[in-house]
Amino acid sequence: MIDSAVLPNRAWSLTGLRQKLSGRWLFSVLLVAGCAVLSLLVLAPLYTLLSKSVENKAGEFVGLDNFARYLSSGGIESAFFNSLWVAGLSTVIVVSLAFMAAWALTRTRLPMTGWVRGVLVLPILAPSLLPAISLVYLFGNQGVLKDWLMGAEIYGPIGIIMGSCFWTFPHALMILLTAMDNADGRHYEAATALKASAWRTFWTVTVPGARYGLVSAAFVVFTLVITDFGVPKVIGGQFDVLATDIYKQVIGQQKFEMGAVVSVLLLLPAMLAFFADRYVQRKQSASFTARSVPYKPRVDRKRDAIGAMVLTPTVIFILAIIGMAVYASFVKFWPYNLDLSLNNYQFGRMDGGGWGAYINSLQMALGTMLVGTGLVFFNAWLMERTPQPKLLSGAFQFLSLLPLAVPGLVLGLSYIFFFNHPDNPLNVIYGSLLILILCTVSHFYAVSHLTAVTALKQLDKEFEAVGESLKASRWRVLFTVTLPLCLPAILDVALYLFVNAMTTVSAVVFLYGPNSQLASVAVLSMDEAGDIAPAAAMAVLITVTCAGAKLIQGALRYWVDRSTRAWRQGTE
Amino acid sequence: MTQQTQGSRLEIQGVQKNFGDFTALKSIDLTIEPGELVCFLGPSGCGKTTLLRIIAGLEQQSAGQLFQGSDDISLKPPKDRDFGIVFQSYALFPNMTVCDNIAYGLRSIGMGKTQIKARVSELLELIGLSDHAKKYPAQLSGGQQQRVALARALAPSPGLLLLDEPLSALDAKVRHHLRSEIRNLQKKLGVTTILVTHDQEEALAMADRVVVMNNGVIEQVGTPLEIYQQPKSAFVAEFIGAMNFIDSAPLNGQRVKVGNRELELVRPMPEVQDSVRLAIRPEDVHLMPVGDGDWEGRVEAMDYLGAFIRTQIRLSDVELDLVVDVDPRSARQLDLVVGRSICLHLPSDALHCFAA
Repeated sequence: MIDSAVLPNRAWSLTGLRQKLSGRWLFSVLLVAGCAVLSLLVLAPLYTLLSKSVENKAGEFVGLDNFARYLSSGGIESAFFNSLWVAGLSTVIVVSLAFMAAWALTRTRLPMTGWVRGVLVLPILAPSLLPAISLVYLFGNQGVLKDWLMGAEIYGPIGIIMGSCFWTFPHALMILLTAMDNADGRHYEAATALKASAWRTFWTVTVPGARYGLVSAAFVVFTLVITDFGVPKVIGGQFDVLATDIYKQVIGQQKFEMGAVVSVLLLLPAMLAFFADRYVQRKQSASFTARSVPYKPRVDRKRDAIGAMVLTPTVIFILAIIGMAVYASFVKFWPYNLDLSLNNYQFGRMDGGGWGAYINSLQMALGTMLVGTGLVFFNAWLMERTPQPKLLSGAFQFLSLLPLAVPGLVLGLSYIFFFNHPDNPLNVIYGSLLILILCTVSHFYAVSHLTAVTALKQLDKEFEAVGESLKASRWRVLFTVTLPLCLPAILDVALYLFVNAMTTVSAVVFLYGPNSQLASVAVLSMDEAGDIAPAAAMAVLITVTCAGAKLIQGALRYWVDRSTRAWRQGTE
Repeated sequence: MTQQTQGSRLEIQGVQKNFGDFTALKSIDLTIEPGELVCFLGPSGCGKTTLLRIIAGLEQQSAGQLFQGSDDISLKPPKDRDFGIVFQSYALFPNMTVCDNIAYGLRSIGMGKTQIKARVSELLELIGLSDHAKKYPAQLSGGQQQRVALARALAPSPGLLLLDEPLSALDAKVRHHLRSEIRNLQKKLGVTTILVTHDQEEALAMADRVVVMNNGVIEQVGTPLEIYQQPKSAFVAEFIGAMNFIDSAPLNGQRVKVGNRELELVRPMPEVQDSVRLAIRPEDVHLMPVGDGDWEGRVEAMDYLGAFIRTQIRLSDVELDLVVDVDPRSARQLDLVVGRSICLHLPSDALHCFAA
């Protein structure tokens, strides 16, 4: 400690010394470390990827030659535009369906909406490969419903769009439910008082209230579809999209620099969607204020019937896809011997790593959950609840959200370039479980970060100040107040990371080594090898594991809610 | 037996605060005596909360020094200063019982378990919430939460108590009750207290001295009576209570000209100016029957505000509206109704004079 009596009374020395004295520099140093970690895990690999796209195989700078070569090969016409229209059409379908479902769930008095919600978000627990495999069983060459397509092929855009709709639906639904759950009843009462018809009320109150949610959902779905690799890989047939093209260039032809070129092309629409969404989000302000009255739908049979009609096809579609995968995984030999058995679950007999891959996946998901949750919360806490220079917290916020704009395949490929470089001292982790964990944490960092920040922002901003006046350090306030209050959000983030780590294919498909094969990748390898029933079995196993995790998380949340009910009373 | 706190003396010397180009505080000098309750009063954005946060060490002053007792605290972080604070939101820890909230600061200073228990129950008794010790903040009313926040701040017996708009989240009745309760508690404990408020009534009712602030400067420091009766600036005159302003031109000596009349002033005039503003409080204007007073006017509007009637009177020979408070009895005697002509008298000892 410096004796404060002898300090010169000059402004320039004041600030620095005071910061030292109060230990504030420590928090800034920690956040700088957080920035460094994210730079290492996201920014540096991306930079390597970008520089790779303008180099030839020997590593010499060749400007835009690679891009020119890719363009002249016709890739741009097929893959790029295919990606755009498939993603665009999927977005329109998913957002329309999700909006209708969200409307039926929030604006009608249908019974059992809790269960319906549960079914509608089920796809989030499954790898994106699962709907593709199911669709093959339903509409493929030997599919049970092949006739429904009236001669059209499921292998191609139809399959990709149907599969994408299945797995992106929950993402759109959750955004729209958040946007529509807190409707202000007063707006509806005003519309009724002004003699507006139900139809007019829908277009003048309901839709405008959900407009930011609609825009946000559209951007999210578009990005998810255009960057997804699982669905087009399994069911895309000869139909080229950017995501499969990267895979072909890198894994099939070992043309890493061309993979980098396609990655950059894939990065463009994803980045565009990201910034557009950020822009829209900034304009959004909370319309539900303390003075609002929650909307309660009145009795209206006709409206409820419409709601049921809107929900039914979606619920059936989701149940059919999952049911088909489960059924197919137990069938002995499709379609000739429909006896049920567990044969397909004997993964040891197929390619892809067998049960070992499943164990690896579990370890990887648990690791991602622990490392990710800890890292995300600690950094978010530093950013939100400790004094930080504006520039530093701004830089950190940017780095945290950046992964949202980077497709998994692009991230995975950039990890090869960065971590497999012989000069990189970190290349020892290449091919290990650790790199898979780090890559997955980075891949899903942004959404976790936003959840954590939202939870931390809701706490009274004076907790730390009160703590300091009571001689308690920020650390003590963190452990006695902040963490207990954030427990529900922590559980949410943990589940989010676990489920995504279990189901992801895109980033890790480039990174697994001989000793770190993963279950989701095994689905892919088995499907590629023609073992489609075991692939279905593995996909079902992953889904069941995620559902189990969800149940455990639900039980924990229930327990937390119950044991903290006393002090939450009246506040929520 | 209530633990007696030794209130500390606080001295603020030339404190300044800039946020970028914006100057929130301009060279503030102020001394607060031990055991005193001082109110920082001013409109929002006047810098009062910034000054409080600088005293707490939650903000850093751009220049200037602070002394608590003989201790230079200018550079000390909040945890090395000796104060308790109550925020507008109370910031009670929602996951802890009333007991644990109050004990929080005692645990920080490493007090023994039995001592903590004794001190907590003493404070619970002091705030009259002994029956609610095991409840959580969400189970208490706003007023009760406020008292818990106060007890938590007072638990480690700080020499300085800082209250940041502590009553503004409560409804009027509870607010009035808590005002006197806080004041009594503060007197009993002798803790030096700074209360930030934008509510003039609260400031006048509770404070030993009021510090009126505006645009980052102190306009006036004084007892509530001084502030009300001898405002030093037009801002203070207008901000505290109601005030009529009359533009006029100074003549020689203590005389001013309003319209085509001349007025003699008793109170001191500001330095020589081209024009000055006369000011008079609504309750200081005398109404009388036509023919008696020196000004004639007409009643334009009357608002019944309970204990008195606020009337608006338009003077006939100058372009001027005056607000005059009349008690109901005088109003009856004068048979005051809208549209009636009336005379008024402006007592020269009630006329303030400010620079325009």
